[in-house]
Amino acid sequence: MKEFIKSKQLKIILIALVIIAGIVMIVVKGFNFDLKYQDTQRVELYLKTEFNISDIRQITNEVFENQKVMIQKVEVFEDSVSITTTSISDEQKNNLVTKINEKYGTELTAEDTTVENIGHTRGRDIIKPYIVPFAIAVIIVLIYLGIRYYKLSIAKVIAKSIGIMALAQILLFSVIAITRIPIGRLTIPMVILVYLLTLFGITTKFEKDLSKKKLEENKDKSKKK
Amino acid sequence: MKKIKIITMIVLIILITMVSFFGVYTQVQNRMENQVRDYALDMDLDGARYVRLSVNKESTDVIKDADGNEVETDEEMTDEQLSENGYTKESVPNNSEDVLTVENYDKTKKIISERLKSQGAGEYEISVDNETGDILVQIPENENTDSLVSNINTIGNFEIIDADTKEVLMDNNDIKLVNVMYGSSSSTSSGTTVYMNIEFNKEGTKKLENISNTYVESDEDTSNTTADNTTTDNTTTDNTTADNTTTDNTTSEENTTETTKKEITLKIDDEEIMTTSFDEPIENGKLQLSMGSSTTDVDTLQDNISQASSIASVLDSGKLPIQYDMISNEYILSDITNTHIEYLAIAIGIVLLIGFVILIIRYKVNGLLSAIAFIGLISLYLLVIRYTNVSVSIQGIIGIIVTIILNYIFINKILATIKKSEDNKKLGTIKEGIKESYKEFFMKLIPICISVIVFCFINWTTISSFGMVMFWGIALIALYNYLITATMLKVKAEK
Repeated sequence: MKEFIKSKQLKIILIALVIIAGIVMIVVKGFNFDLKYQDTQRVELYLKTEFNISDIRQITNEVFENQKVMIQKVEVFEDSVSITTTSISDEQKNNLVTKINEKYGTELTAEDTTVENIGHTRGRDIIKPYIVPFAIAVIIVLIYLGIRYYKLSIAKVIAKSIGIMALAQILLFSVIAITRIPIGRLTIPMVILVYLLTLFGITTKFEKDLSKKKLEENKDKSKKK
Repeated sequence: MKKIKIITMIVLIILITMVSFFGVYTQVQNRMENQVRDYALDMDLDGARYVRLSVNKESTDVIKDADGNEVETDEEMTDEQLSENGYTKESVPNNSEDVLTVENYDKTKKIISERLKSQGAGEYEISVDNETGDILVQIPENENTDSLVSNINTIGNFEIIDADTKEVLMDNNDIKLVNVMYGSSSSTSSGTTVYMNIEFNKEGTKKLENISNTYVESDEDTSNTTADNTTTDNTTTDNTTADNTTTDNTTSEENTTETTKKEITLKIDDEEIMTTSFDEPIENGKLQLSMGSSTTDVDTLQDNISQASSIASVLDSGKLPIQYDMISNEYILSDITNTHIEYLAIAIGIVLLIGFVILIIRYKVNGLLSAIAFIGLISLYLLVIRYTNVSVSIQGIIGIIVTIILNYIFINKILATIKKSEDNKKLGTIKEGIKESYKEFFMKLIPICISVIVFCFINWTTISSFGMVMFWGIALIALYNYLITATMLKVKAEK
């Protein structure tokens, strides 16, 4: 049993399970996109004074309850607030305006407050700018690895590198899908981080294998002598 | 001597740390101002210009003749005048129902994206509401923003028309590419002239050749004129027709010179850019239009280039299929506030502190010296990021964290090597140990370095931010540790 827990097979089974679960989750529920990239509605309110985001957050928590809300300050004087959320009903708009008026002594009216519809950003548009840079980087890195570790067989080195890099990213997106981590501004940094870790891991492994190979070659040479 | 060397280095580190974390304050007009440059932040951290575009729902009055052809007239016509001429007035929506499709919304998005890219926007976000066609464009707030905004909803309708008949001779479909060129002027005046170079596709090239053969200014000498005040009713020259010919007659007692002129008008979005004729046929399908006059003044030249680039970008990206109105254009700050960044910095600080304690427990004085040197590296690193104008994005922050982790791994490696050699009573091999650590560590780092260098050259702020931040980080790890950390450890080991 202990041997099985430590074995390569268990790792493979675990990775396969995570990937399958991730694929199922993507097919059934899709990715959970961050508010910034969803179809949203937005209102902008002129408060005539500087304000704390935490105060507005308190109001939006009461008005929108469990909805995700993004609060931003507007323009250089920072006396207007932009509130973005998944949807804003007339009742919520009225509530929001009333509470803002109470808090900041403004005379805003729900009628004059326009709710803007904001279309979503497509997932492919988020990743599009990164495809070419990553492709170029990976190709050059593969060429380097092939040359540097040619003693370990160029084909094997390249195949292993591509496999591990791809597997790491698939695993990352499976985990994102399973855990429902929103696809947003942190997704690409996570991809980059995993890419770098993979590169570091691959190189460390190949360096080790190369040293072993060199040692063996030296032993063989000394035996022949 | 040994102590003095180490103390000098520590004082230097403290100084750098003070400058980096607290700044250098001087009095500027009764207030204290930090002279240390601030971080350049990207759109995710600094906020963006939000430009909202809404589909134009207005209509335009169009006057049509009895045959249903559009009549172009500058003067306002009364109903009586219209009926006298047999004209009718129709109200035509600027965007007909059939152009308001998801495909056209998508095409508009692509065109706007092309325009932003060609004008050097390092990052942007465009979202489209597929039901209403409304578009929200987010672009970074900087000195280039207004210029970018001004082109976002320009239709980009390019036309070359006959100056007299208003017949459309060429349009956007004939354009292959548009770019900006500049070159020295002729010998008569010094300075540089900016040109907008319009390259036409195969069909456009043929059309341009025909036009440039037809729309020429030609002088004709007519001899044997005997009568005073001769009037020539029709002048026929090659490639001209009587209808489109303007004839200027100059008559003298001995001979007559006639200048016939057929002109084209170049229009962009119904605005006349120029009316001209051709000196010679253009066979290469390239039309160069000078933008502004020749100048030696750098600011004027820059303005001309900027204006030409702006028009070129609009024409090159194609014509918007839908007319949009800009309904709002405002700067909205990021929802990631300074408080979030402060929390992150505190978290990194706590983790680092734990890391330093571990170093000190494991490697005693060497660990302490390395920890002090480490703080110096972080301080210097943050100064370098500010003074090399690296735009810091979320990816850039990840780059900073990765650099700190890499430096920790590297320092740990150096200290472990030194400890190993000390345990083996091989004090003389510290230098070799450090050299070996360098070799081993940076050999593993080469693939990361390759990727980082590639990312540095990408024209997309978030990825280049990561590349630049990591580039300076890795360069500092190599240089700083060689000059400071390794020196401190060597000095400490000296007997």
